[in-house]
Amino acid sequence: MAVEKKAPVSSSILVVGGGISGLTATLEAAEVGYEVFLVEKNPFLGGRVAQLNQYFPKLCPPACGLEINFRRIKDNPKIKVFTMAEIEKVDGGPGNYQVTIRIQPRYVNDNCTCCGECAKVCDTEIPNEFNFGMDRIKAAYIPHNMAFPARYVFSSDMGADEAKRCKEACKYNAVDLDMEPKILNIQVGSIIWATGWSPYDATKLDNLGFGRYQNVITNMMMERLASHNGPTSGKILRLSDDQPPKIIAFAQCAGSRDEKHLPYCSYICCMASLKQATYIRSQYPDADVYIYYIDIRTPGRRYEQFYNQLKADKKVHFVKGKVAEVNEDPSTANIILVAENTLTGEKIKQTVDMLVLATGMQPNTEKDKPIANLNMNSDGFIINDYDNSGIFAAGCANKPADVVSSNQNATGMALKAIQTLVRR
Amino acid sequence: MTERYLVQPDLEFIKEIQSLGGETVKKCFQCATCSVVCPLSPESGPFPRKEMIAASWGLKDKLINDSDIWLCHECGDCSDKCPRGAKPGDVLSALRAMTIGHYATPQVLYKAVNDPKKLPVLIGVPAIIFAILAIFTNLFHETLSHGLPENVIAHANFISTWFVDLVFVPLSLFVVAVFAKGLTDFVKNIHENAINEGKVEIKSLELKPFLQTLIKVIPMILSHEKFTKCEANKDRSTAHMMVLFSFIGLAVVTGIFFVVLYVFGIPGPYSQINPVKILANISGVALVIGGALMIKNRLTKPDQTSAYKDWYLVGLVFGLGITGMLTQMTRLAGGEYLSYFLYYVHLIFVFNLFLFLPYSKMAHLVYRTVAITYNEYMGRK
Repeated sequence: MAVEKKAPVSSSILVVGGGISGLTATLEAAEVGYEVFLVEKNPFLGGRVAQLNQYFPKLCPPACGLEINFRRIKDNPKIKVFTMAEIEKVDGGPGNYQVTIRIQPRYVNDNCTCCGECAKVCDTEIPNEFNFGMDRIKAAYIPHNMAFPARYVFSSDMGADEAKRCKEACKYNAVDLDMEPKILNIQVGSIIWATGWSPYDATKLDNLGFGRYQNVITNMMMERLASHNGPTSGKILRLSDDQPPKIIAFAQCAGSRDEKHLPYCSYICCMASLKQATYIRSQYPDADVYIYYIDIRTPGRRYEQFYNQLKADKKVHFVKGKVAEVNEDPSTANIILVAENTLTGEKIKQTVDMLVLATGMQPNTEKDKPIANLNMNSDGFIINDYDNSGIFAAGCANKPADVVSSNQNATGMALKAIQTLVRR
Repeated sequence: MTERYLVQPDLEFIKEIQSLGGETVKKCFQCATCSVVCPLSPESGPFPRKEMIAASWGLKDKLINDSDIWLCHECGDCSDKCPRGAKPGDVLSALRAMTIGHYATPQVLYKAVNDPKKLPVLIGVPAIIFAILAIFTNLFHETLSHGLPENVIAHANFISTWFVDLVFVPLSLFVVAVFAKGLTDFVKNIHENAINEGKVEIKSLELKPFLQTLIKVIPMILSHEKFTKCEANKDRSTAHMMVLFSFIGLAVVTGIFFVVLYVFGIPGPYSQINPVKILANISGVALVIGGALMIKNRLTKPDQTSAYKDWYLVGLVFGLGITGMLTQMTRLAGGEYLSYFLYYVHLIFVFNLFLFLPYSKMAHLVYRTVAITYNEYMGRK
């Protein structure tokens, strides 16, 4: 692409993805005075972070960071947020991108007060995606109690009659059943691609039993179980019988660092499991936690410290060896895992109440290839081209990263986006 | 495991593993998936994870004296499930080849068998020997012909059976001697190593109970009880069984005809309805089919590395069978010179089989049997 030094047609920035990276990039750019369009596929902002129980290593709830960001967005007239929106097309080049955005109907407008009257009259239930299908919600729903924008959504699974009933139940005239998908064309000078990640599909790990055995869950499901706004109101329980687990094992590198799945290290899963061990230890002081690992990756001083604290805990046991076989005892729904303890050279067959798979992160761009001029590596992460492009990937669209690195990276990309506007 | 161990890496050893089909050894990151998925690995001190680290560190003494590598039947389950493509199955196969090499005397023959550049020599030497013997047979036909008339197509008319046996009987004795020497050291060393690694509890090895265990183990080997436990390539076990049984059949046939010739003085060719001949034919056909299956399996399984040592062996097996069967078929069809020529080629194959038994991959027949017996004797589960 030839670089033409001319004044940008647009001095606006588009941010694709309203997770922690997108929020940060949006705010950094908007708070120095640029107009920012923030486009989010979900009906709410916050992304994966909104699903977490606590951040590591400080163990504070995600409300910490998200709430203040939402506040800043609300107060900033430079920011235009579009939820339930996706990018359909990106044309043009640095300084002048024409972007087509498709917005799905929410059927609820901003009169909504979240009173919940519509949900009361709604009978249809749908699996709760926010909780990875561990519970069901009404088809007229608020995605979660911290959702921003705080507004109900009507699922397309709802029948016409039911929708009408919901509309009648609303006292604030917030339901608009005539909403149609909208196409929006905007012009921006630069774009930040922050589409984030999805947990790797654990059903593909055929030797680890996920999807076959109820008490094999993923680490993200554990976050939801431990969250107060999760399916069990924060109690960590076995999915088979709602009983508190006494022995919980973690299988690290479930799909990560594996040529047949995700060939790279997902960076966060070791810290995530260590963090989740603290959830279990604080809820069940008598429970034993076993962490099966190839090697623990806790980079940096603070993460090492966190690891060392857990190593000092007599109830947290570290076993060097990957879980490679998982079976279920059908009478108890207990999980029997097999690994080799490589430090002692003994094969271990352990029966546990619950097995948590530390599944890794797959960039969403792997499945939803962006319809834009972007370079991607073989794993689906976007490779930034600072010299020729005005589109910059931030956060986990660029590489597997924790929240801190995502924020730092997003700030940097906001600067890149600004430079694209100013220098041309 | 806690005692101090000074690692003395043998870099040449690592390179050799890599050249014998184990080029992926360094990809291993010790996750131990292989030890878990292996259907044959024992509970205590399972393989092949420990072999993989020892191999990438170049710990030659540990590995060539490791009886565990012989418990592996290279089914490929470990290579299938390996997250790094380190192919532990192929590494163990390379280690077995190197063990065979280590215990082989003289070394020059081992090197020749495992070096593709030496293949012309391996073929050339027997080719010259048998050519000379053929010339002698024809020059002195009167005295060497076993009393067979010259107009009958009998391979003894081309190369005298006496000459053939004059080559193969001393050769067999030589092979037995080489194995005897190799095995004496092998058993002593694997035992020492197993004690050092704490894999076994029994401290002394007695010959008599060892041989009794051997007798117990043989039916297990014949039934391929272990081999069929391997999931990733079950079809290989069928091919292997066919080849093994055909070799046993052919050995029996050769033994009987040896006695028939020298004790009863009746030279071949023998009648096609002779029960021994029927056994010979069944074995021959099984050898051809088994050999062909082995080649097919290796060609259609790209995830299993096939090194020269593997091709040499499957080529030998198939060549042996096909030349043997064709020799007979052309004889029955009356193609005299074609049949003689095929017989000549067949003898070259047989020569390779005999002489290189202790040096080629074929030696697994002996080392594996002994190692399995050893593990059974020690009660390793």
